[in-house]
Amino acid sequence: MTALKALLRRPTGVFGVAVVVGLVVFSLVSLVWTPFDPTATNPDQGWLLPFSGGHLLGTDRLGHDQFSQLLAGAREALLTAVLAMVIAAVVGIALALAATVTPRWIGATVVQLIDILIAFPVLLLAMILAAVYGGSTTTAVVAIGIGFGVNVARVARGEINAVRGTDYVLAAQACGANTGRIIRKHLLPNIAPTLIVQLSLTMALAVLAEAALTYLGYGTNPNTPSWGGMLAEQQAYLSARPLLVIWPGLAVVLTVLGLNLLGDALRVATDPRLRDAR
Amino acid sequence: MIRYLLRRTLLLVVSLFVASVLIFLLLRLLPGDVATTIGGLRATPAQLAQIRANLGLDRPLTAQYGSWLGGVLRGDFGRSQLTGVSVSAELATKLQVTAPLVGGGIVVALLLAVPFGILAALRHRSSVGGGISAVAQLGIAVPTFWLGLVLVLLFAVELRVLPAQGFPIGGWQTPGAALRALVLPWLALGLSEGAVLLRFVRSAVLDVLSADYLRTARAKGRTRVGALLTHGLRNAALPVTSMLGLQIAGLIVGAVVVEQVFALPGVGTMLLADVGNRDLVKVQGEVLVISASVLVISFAIDIVHRAIDPRLREVG
Amino acid sequence: MRRALMTLAPLLVAATLVACGTGAPTSAGTGATSLPATPPDAQLNLGATVNVRLTLEPTSLNPFSTAGAALDQLLLTNVYQNLLTVDVHKQDAIVPQLATGYDESPDGLTYTFHLVPNAHFHDGTPLTSADVKWSLDQQTAPGSLGIYAANFASINSVAAPDPRTVVITLKHRDTWLLWNLTQREGIVYQQGTNFASLDAKDNGSGPFTIGAWNRGSTITINRYNAYWGAKPKVATVIFHYIPDANTANNAEQTGETDIEATADPTLLQPFGNSSSFTVLNGSTTDKFTLAFNDAVAPFTNPAVRHAIRQGINNADVIKAYGGGIAIGSDVPPQDPWYQDLTSIDRYDPTNARKLLAGAGFPNGLSLTLTVPNIYQTAITDVLTSELKQVGIALTVKRVEFQTWLSQVFTNHQFQLSLVDHAEARDIGNYANAKYYFGYDNAQVRNWFAQAGTASSDADRDALLKQVGKQISTDAASDWLFLAKTFTVARQGVYGVPSIETTERFDASGLAVAT
Repeated sequence: MTALKALLRRPTGVFGVAVVVGLVVFSLVSLVWTPFDPTATNPDQGWLLPFSGGHLLGTDRLGHDQFSQLLAGAREALLTAVLAMVIAAVVGIALALAATVTPRWIGATVVQLIDILIAFPVLLLAMILAAVYGGSTTTAVVAIGIGFGVNVARVARGEINAVRGTDYVLAAQACGANTGRIIRKHLLPNIAPTLIVQLSLTMALAVLAEAALTYLGYGTNPNTPSWGGMLAEQQAYLSARPLLVIWPGLAVVLTVLGLNLLGDALRVATDPRLRDAR
Repeated sequence: MIRYLLRRTLLLVVSLFVASVLIFLLLRLLPGDVATTIGGLRATPAQLAQIRANLGLDRPLTAQYGSWLGGVLRGDFGRSQLTGVSVSAELATKLQVTAPLVGGGIVVALLLAVPFGILAALRHRSSVGGGISAVAQLGIAVPTFWLGLVLVLLFAVELRVLPAQGFPIGGWQTPGAALRALVLPWLALGLSEGAVLLRFVRSAVLDVLSADYLRTARAKGRTRVGALLTHGLRNAALPVTSMLGLQIAGLIVGAVVVEQVFALPGVGTMLLADVGNRDLVKVQGEVLVISASVLVISFAIDIVHRAIDPRLREVG
Repeated sequence: MRRALMTLAPLLVAATLVACGTGAPTSAGTGATSLPATPPDAQLNLGATVNVRLTLEPTSLNPFSTAGAALDQLLLTNVYQNLLTVDVHKQDAIVPQLATGYDESPDGLTYTFHLVPNAHFHDGTPLTSADVKWSLDQQTAPGSLGIYAANFASINSVAAPDPRTVVITLKHRDTWLLWNLTQREGIVYQQGTNFASLDAKDNGSGPFTIGAWNRGSTITINRYNAYWGAKPKVATVIFHYIPDANTANNAEQTGETDIEATADPTLLQPFGNSSSFTVLNGSTTDKFTLAFNDAVAPFTNPAVRHAIRQGINNADVIKAYGGGIAIGSDVPPQDPWYQDLTSIDRYDPTNARKLLAGAGFPNGLSLTLTVPNIYQTAITDVLTSELKQVGIALTVKRVEFQTWLSQVFTNHQFQLSLVDHAEARDIGNYANAKYYFGYDNAQVRNWFAQAGTASSDADRDALLKQVGKQISTDAASDWLFLAKTFTVARQGVYGVPSIETTERFDASGLAVAT
């Protein structure tokens, strides 16, 4: 609770929280209501300007209502961010623990594995998944989650090693606490601040990565409205219809910005040293 | 140090081996094969079987892996299953685009990140520092391909000062044209990457500024900037270089996207095409080279760190 | 922080508005739609280089054993030649190329071709009947790896009685023979050619030789100065392979290319009102086909297939794609057996819903459409929207082309599929029960077989008309539309091909004013 208060004391924190809240509200609203069916096309109603024909933000070439697509796209963005984060967290923590609390030879092997996986391009993973299962949010999210998960693992490993060396963990070990207990009571709570920061940054990167993958043709399915899909679709009409690319572009930029600032603010809010300093 | 070097080298070799197995197996999950690329829609099953036999695709996976690895160990990455061109030769050609692209991108990123990152740290309480950080945050949030498209629209289509796409046919034999072709891609890659890096530079310098040794130096009468320059930068460089090492993989993916936006014939474009054609001998060579360069770079960074940072030497 | 945010939006808007003086987009240009005649040589730059944008790069330069329309587009007519070729300006009429003409025996079993006197290969060797015989023998040899080798199954033997005469003897009448001779499988190679070496060095008899292949980017072809026929009026043609439509558009606008072939019809606004460019449009054989897996439920029920066809408004799909015509079957107007079948399964969403209810789906159904990711998403966007109106929830699965080949084409694991069947005269796919369509109608198979051995082209055309009509009546597939192709040409470039250019891009007529 104090962390949240500390968060809300900073303007960047307020902005970050506002973006997340906005994203959630948009997503929830889109579940029950959008002004138009976001997937409905109407070739006779293409290229409408904002505020015409009941279309708040106008329509694209095929007559998709842009506001409805933007609302529904929020859902996809939230899903991408959260799922990628969850996968990254699971992969990251599992690998980090495997690298630290296991016998030395297993740990060393896992450390190497992490290094190898970091060197493996996420893009290729996404391509392979998209080739096997068809491009979709799920395949993109899995690739992004695993890709960033190994980065999280690397950071978390460092943190865990630092915490393990501290007196209280050594004391707990000396008192005969088992590994599971040490992980639960000491390791995870202590690396949580770092993890939360890393994971909020992962969420931001996931939204960006999804847009890039969709642009390359390996991301979200085109008949699921998504910001990346809107950008990829509208980019061709950049010179003729600049307004159309502003909306999904702004949505992506604001979301990524908000999640990044949230991560930064969380770092400051959860790190007493930084809170005093700045 | 020698023992560490030996151990680290051994680990690198093992990592490369594991990476090669991983790459080989993952690629075998892809549906379809190069035989259908060659034979197309009209090939009869007998023709497809014949094509597979000619390419050795009917051999067990272990045998295929073995002959690939054997070749790689001799420095031979094999030949394209489609055109018969040597994979190494083609990689070398494509690297003439991608290596300068990534290298120049890093240079642009550093030119942006280092001075402005330090400035943002030194002035972190003023509007200058805040402004720089805000712009950097925005830079991170803008998708790279998006930035590239806007750059093309401005500098190529409207102002007509730089080419919109492509790389000169003569490559670096026409250095002027080659450089012009890379300016916008460098900017697209460098601006995105620079924004990410700037934040690390800033926080690394901030950490250094609050460190005890700098306070001591200042107590001895050095100015803040002077103290930073003599004592601080070396220390700030450590986290930044290791961050840069981590970013390499991301940078390569960024390069793939930028190559698409600018239709550059680099490794990324080739990789996408080869995966599409299921020219797997080529793909595995390309991915191995990408993964290996990341591994080797992080290896080099480790060694450099150890050389710079005396504290690490004792830990073993 | 907030101040910084406020400055972002105007910045982006400014960046994009600068570029928006191009006026309202139109689906096709409003400027000139045809090129002036090529001026006399004195007004031409005979040493010119023409830069041409194409989409798909060939995977190899070996036309004998590597598939892919990109090879045909580049190599046919430009580099390699056949006895006969296709005249796209005359409704795909079959016309002589290396042959001056041919005689057909009354029983239709013997064709005698007479070769032009002075043809030779790029290495200087004269092209003789022995080369023709050898080339055809490579196709008909048992175990041949020739692409489409099966198309010459009717050939009994090929003889070369003298250097300028070739005699093809058939096992049975074959009304497809002449057409097949115009295609890839009819290329005349030099006797003894090692096909694997063609990637490194061509040895055709056409007006151009292959210069350099800068993989992933460009292929250069150079005028062959000793060409036996009318020499090209440009020295060099550079094909730039730019897949992205927007990038290609920028390249054409900035003058990096002179000709933009297969331009995205929805992106022509910068060229439409400009006197510096001409937008040409031409016919294609690109049949965008929504295939049903006829062999599995629910498509075993014809009512479902009819419902889907009636649920889709072809006009909307064409508008989304940007240019094309409705054909109603697998036959484009340039084929002799074309007939207008668009009245079958006309757009009627109300009836479509009724048909689905009658087929046991009163509450609609969910279907998955597998589509290669090389096509623009606009088509599937419209299909999703319109099928939703009749109660079909469509899931679009975008996959790589190779995955489509493996899952849909080879293993028949699909419900609906969308691909551009670009091959000309491919109606025989509906007479092949093993084809991925899963369509099996004994009557159609019979008609098609009879058409192949018919004693006259008129008989064949009548039979194929019946096939065309039957497959449409059965709703074997839905032929969404026949695409039009758009080519943008810079002012001062003449002789730009604009018809069926994905099949072959004939560069031999190109010319550039001084």
